[in-house]
Amino acid sequence: MGHSDGDHGSDLSADDSPWSEGSWSDDDDEGSLSFEDSGEGSDPESDEPDAAAAEESDSSEDEVAPRNTIGDVPLEWYKNEEHIGYDITGSKIKKRDREGRIEAYLRNADDAKNWRKIYDEYNDEEVQITKEEAKIISRLLKGRTPHTNVDPYPDYVDWFEYDGKGHPLSSAPEPKRRFVPSKWEQKKVVKLVRAIRKGWIKFDKPKEEPNFYLLWGDETDTADNKRQGLSYIPAPKPNLPGHEESYNPSVEYIPTQEEIDSYQLMYEEDRPKFIPRKFDCLRSVPAYEKALREGFDRCLDLYLCPRTRKKRINIDPESLKPKLPSKKDLRPYPRTCYLEFKGHNGPVKSLSVEATGQWIASGSSDGTIRVWEVETGRCIKVWNVGGVVHRIAWNPSPDRHILAAVVDHDLLLLNAEVGDEDAQMKTKGLLQIEELPQEEDNGDKKPAVRWVKHEKFDGIMLIHHKLSKKHSHHPFRKLLGLPIAAVFHPSQKMFFVATKKFVQVYDLQKAQLVKKLESGVREISSISIHPGGDNVIVGSKDGKLCWFDTDLSTRPYKTLKNHLKDITNVTFHRKYPLFASSSEDCTAYVFHGMVYSDLNQNPLIVPLEILRGHSSSDGRGVLDCKFHPRQPWLFTAGADSVVRLYCD
Amino acid sequence: MDIFSSPLAVRLERTVTATGPHILQNPNQINSPFETLPKPLFPLPAAAASTAASSSSPPSDTAAAMDAGGASDPSRQVRVRFVTKLPAPLRAPPTSIAVPADLTRMGLSEIVNSLLLAASPGHQTQPFDFLVDGELVRLPLQEFLLAKGISAERVLELEYVKAVAPRKQEDPCPHDDWVSTVDGSNPSFVLTGCYDGFARIWRDASECTHILEGHSDGITSASFINKGETEDRLHVVTSSKDRSLRLFKFDTSVSIPKQIGAYKILRGHTSSVQSVAVDPSTDMICSGSWDSSIKLWSVEGSEEDGDTVSVKKRRTNSDSSGTEESQFEGSATSTFLGHTQCVSAVAWPERQTIYSASWDHSVRQWDVQTGKETWNMVSGKALNCLDCGGESSSLIAAGGSDPVLRVWDPRKPGTLAPIFQFSSHKSWISSCKWHPSSWFHLVSSSFDGKVMLWDLRTAWPLASVETHKDKVLCADWWKGDSVISGGADSKLCIASGIEIV
Repeated sequence: MGHSDGDHGSDLSADDSPWSEGSWSDDDDEGSLSFEDSGEGSDPESDEPDAAAAEESDSSEDEVAPRNTIGDVPLEWYKNEEHIGYDITGSKIKKRDREGRIEAYLRNADDAKNWRKIYDEYNDEEVQITKEEAKIISRLLKGRTPHTNVDPYPDYVDWFEYDGKGHPLSSAPEPKRRFVPSKWEQKKVVKLVRAIRKGWIKFDKPKEEPNFYLLWGDETDTADNKRQGLSYIPAPKPNLPGHEESYNPSVEYIPTQEEIDSYQLMYEEDRPKFIPRKFDCLRSVPAYEKALREGFDRCLDLYLCPRTRKKRINIDPESLKPKLPSKKDLRPYPRTCYLEFKGHNGPVKSLSVEATGQWIASGSSDGTIRVWEVETGRCIKVWNVGGVVHRIAWNPSPDRHILAAVVDHDLLLLNAEVGDEDAQMKTKGLLQIEELPQEEDNGDKKPAVRWVKHEKFDGIMLIHHKLSKKHSHHPFRKLLGLPIAAVFHPSQKMFFVATKKFVQVYDLQKAQLVKKLESGVREISSISIHPGGDNVIVGSKDGKLCWFDTDLSTRPYKTLKNHLKDITNVTFHRKYPLFASSSEDCTAYVFHGMVYSDLNQNPLIVPLEILRGHSSSDGRGVLDCKFHPRQPWLFTAGADSVVRLYCD
Repeated sequence: MDIFSSPLAVRLERTVTATGPHILQNPNQINSPFETLPKPLFPLPAAAASTAASSSSPPSDTAAAMDAGGASDPSRQVRVRFVTKLPAPLRAPPTSIAVPADLTRMGLSEIVNSLLLAASPGHQTQPFDFLVDGELVRLPLQEFLLAKGISAERVLELEYVKAVAPRKQEDPCPHDDWVSTVDGSNPSFVLTGCYDGFARIWRDASECTHILEGHSDGITSASFINKGETEDRLHVVTSSKDRSLRLFKFDTSVSIPKQIGAYKILRGHTSSVQSVAVDPSTDMICSGSWDSSIKLWSVEGSEEDGDTVSVKKRRTNSDSSGTEESQFEGSATSTFLGHTQCVSAVAWPERQTIYSASWDHSVRQWDVQTGKETWNMVSGKALNCLDCGGESSSLIAAGGSDPVLRVWDPRKPGTLAPIFQFSSHKSWISSCKWHPSSWFHLVSSSFDGKVMLWDLRTAWPLASVETHKDKVLCADWWKGDSVISGGADSKLCIASGIEIV
C-alpha cells in the first residue's frame, strides 16, 4: 500500500519510511529477484511489516493515494477476476495483460535497470526502485540497519559515578537492639503514667463549641442594620447609547429642520426625547440641558417612593369560603310559593299538618281554627273558639284526627271530623268526657299532644296527656327557669324542654334529667328534633339558630346567624334532609341538614333558600313554619293572616 | 291574469288597512296570541306586487317591485310557498313569493288572507298558523330559520293551518260551590262535579237538566261511562271525598225528577277518592284514592251482594233526598297496591292498561289482568293530573305541583326525561287533557286561573283562556271544538269555536 504511484524519485517518502520501502523487498538477493512471484506474500515474515507500513503510510499525507480502492483485503480474492479492484470513481480497474516470461527476460536483458523494477500487485503495475532504496533493501537483506549512519555497537557509558562515593550499603546483620523495646523509654512512660494517675499532670479540657446561636439573627439582618432600614432602590437602567447619540454622528442620523419642526406637531409622549446634533469636537458639546431637571425628578422619585416594602399576601377570598355542594344537587327543597290559604282575619299564629299531609290546621288570633285541604287550598272547616289560638297540633297518628289547641289559657281537644267514618267514630268515643273507656287503654302510650305551651303557671308547665287514660302527667315540678318549648324524642322515651337558655333532656320513664344543652343565645324561642333523634335545632329571639349534636357536645355544633329579627319557629323535615326557620323579619330560611349515619362525619348544613312573600303586620312577620310530612314543601303562617305553601 | 292589474293592488291595500289585526269577536275575554305579538303590520301592497312579479317574471323584477313598494332591503327576503291541507276555498295559489325575512306569523297570515281574498272576494279574513318541517312558526321567520338551521336560499314551504284559538266565549254556568271536575266526552251534555256534593248535567252547556245527588262530601271526579254516545240513557260515575263512588243511570229525555239518586254505591276506599277512569269497553271503572290504592270496580252485575238491603236502609236513613230507586252497594273487584301516597289521577286508555299518577312523584302503568305494575317512572314532582293521548294514545301528559306540563313517551326505553315540557303556567297544574281526535293538541288548567291550549309542535301556548277569576280546577275538551273548565270561582266556562282540523 505504501507505494507511491510510480513516483520513485520522491526523497521524502524514501527518507521518512525506509522500513516500508524495505519491507516490500523479497528474500532474494538483489541481483536475482524474481519480482513477479515475490508479491504472493508466501513469506510469513513479510506480513507483519506490511501491516506496519500500511499504518505508517496512512498517516503520511504527502503520500499519493493508491489507484486501487479495495483496501486491505487479501488480494487472492481478485485472483480470478478480470479486474484488480476499483478506482476512486468506483469503476473497475482491469487487469493488465501479462507479458510472458520470455518478454520479461528479454526486457530484463535489454534494460540494465530492469532488475530494479518490482511488480506492485495491488495496483497491478511495475514500480522502479531508486538506488537508495535498493541499497536499503540490500542492507536489510544482510541483516544490517537500513541506515548507514546508525552505529549498532556504541561504547557503554555508566550512569553512576563511583568516584569518592565509597560503599553505600553494608552487609552487616541488623543489631538486636533494633528489635527490643527501649528500657529508658519504658521508664519514661511508667513515670508519665504514674504522674497522670496521681493527677500530677492536668490535661486541658477540650474546647467546647458554643451550642447556642441567635435564632432570629443572621447575616442579612446585620447587613440590614448597617443600611439603617432604608431599602436600596436601584435607579432605572438607561439604554446604551447608539450612533445617533454620538457627538459627531453620521449625516443620516441628523434630522432635517422640517423633521424637527414636525416633532412639534406630535404628541408630547410620541416626540423623540433626543435630537441628534453634530459637533466638530467633543470640547464644543454643551452641558446636558436636562441634567438639573432629571436630577430633581430622581430626587422626587426617591422622596415619594415607599421606603418599606410590604409583603402582600394574595389570598383569593373565594378560597376561604367553605366548599359547599351545589344547590342543584340538594334538590328538592321548597323554593316557590304556589298556593296561598286565605281566610283568616288575623295573624295566623300556629299551624299543623296532618300526618298524611292531606290537611293542615291553622290557628289565628282572630279566634278561629281552620282546617284546609292542601291540594286545592280550600278551607273545609272553621271553628270559632273565641280566643286567641296560640298553638295547634294534629294528633301524629294518621287514624285519629284530633286537634289540640291552646286557646288563651285552655287546652282544647277537637275532633277534626275528617277521614274515615270508623276513625271518626273512634275519635268521638275518645273525646267523650263522661264515660271512661278503659278498654281502649291497650298500651297505646303515644302522646296526643306534642306541643303545649302555657304561660300562666310557673310550676306545672308541661302537660303530658295520655288521651286514652284521660289524665295528665306532671313529671317536672321543679324546672330551672321558664319553659319555652318542648318536644318528644322521635323514638325513645325522652323529652326535650327548652327553657330560656338551656335545653334539658328528660327521661320520661325515670322522670329525671339526663342532659342539659347550653345554647349560648339570649332567649330560646323554639326547638325541633331531627327524626334520627341525635340532633336538635333551637331558634332564638336574637335571630340565631343553634344546631346541637347531642352525641358530640352539650354546646352548639353550629350557630347560624341569618335572621334579622326573632326566630319564631324551627322545624325539621321528617323525610328529606331539610330544616327551616321562620322569623319575624317576614322570611323563612330553608337549609339542607344532612345527618350521616357514620358517627365520625359531622352533619352537613347548607343554606338553600330564603323564602319571601309574607308582608309585615304590626312588626310581626312569619309566625310559624311546618314541613309537609311527605313532600318537600313548607307551610308558613304569616302575621298577614295568610298561610303560604312553598313547593320545590 | 287580471288580478295582477294595478287597481287590484290598490284594493288589496285598502282591504288590509281596513281589516287590521283580525281579532276575535270578543277580544276582552279571549287572549288571542295575536294580540301579544307587537309586530307592526307588513306593508302588504309590496307583497302583492311581488306576487304578481314573481309569478310572471324573474326574481330581479321581484326585488325591484319590493323596492318600489318601499319594503325592507332585498337581501332580507325569503322565498316561500304556501301549501295547505285545508279545503279548496282556503287554498292559496301554489306560487312562490318573496317575503321579508322579519315577518312574523301575523304578517304571514295577512299575506295568506290577502291571497285568498284575491282568489275569492267573499273570503273572510282569519288567523292562520304556519308549519315548517312539522314545527309551528312562533318567532319572526328569519330568527326561526336561523334557530332551526334551515337555509333561506331555497324556497321555503310553509304549510298553513287554521289558528287554534277560541273564537267565542259562552256564558258561564254558575254553581253553588267550586267546580272540581268536568267531563266533556258526551257531545250534547256536560257533566260537572262540585264541592257541594252534587254532580250536574248540563244540556248543551247552558241548562242544568239533572242533579246527581247522594255524596256527603265534595265530588272529586266524574265521568260518563257510555262515552260519545248520543243515546238518551246516560250512565255516570262520580267519586267523592266521602270515600265512595256512585253510579247513576238516567233518561235524559225525562227531565222530571231533576234530582237523580245513585243506583249503586261503590265503597272500599279508606280515604277520599281522587280520580276515576272508565274502561274503554265501559264495563269497568278504576279509581285512585288518598289511601294510595287503585281499585277496580265492575259497573254491572253486583246485585248478588248480601248487604244490599242494609245499605238501602242506611242510605234511606241518612239521605234526605228520599229517592225511590233502589241502591246497591258494590265492592272492588281488585286492588292495585304500589303507590306510597295519594293516587291523584288515573287514566284507562286501553283495555289492558291503566296509568296512574301519584303524589309519590311516580307515574305507573298497570296491567289490568295481572294487577302488576309494568312500568314505573319517577318524575320528581307530586303529580295532580294525567292523561294519555297523542299518537295511538301512547304519550302521557302529566302535571302537578309545579308550573310545568310534561309529556313522556313510555315507549322510549332507558330514559325518564320528558319529551315535551310546557312551562307557561304560573302555578300548579290542576288538570290536563288531550284532544279526543288530534294528536298534537292539549288543554291544561292551572291554579293561576288560566286554561292554556298547547300544540306539541311548539313550546309556546296556542291560546290562553283567562275567564276564571280564581284557581281553575278542571278543564276538558267538548265536542272537539270547545274547552270547558271549572274553577274555584264556582263557574263552568266554555270557550268555543276552536277549529282543530
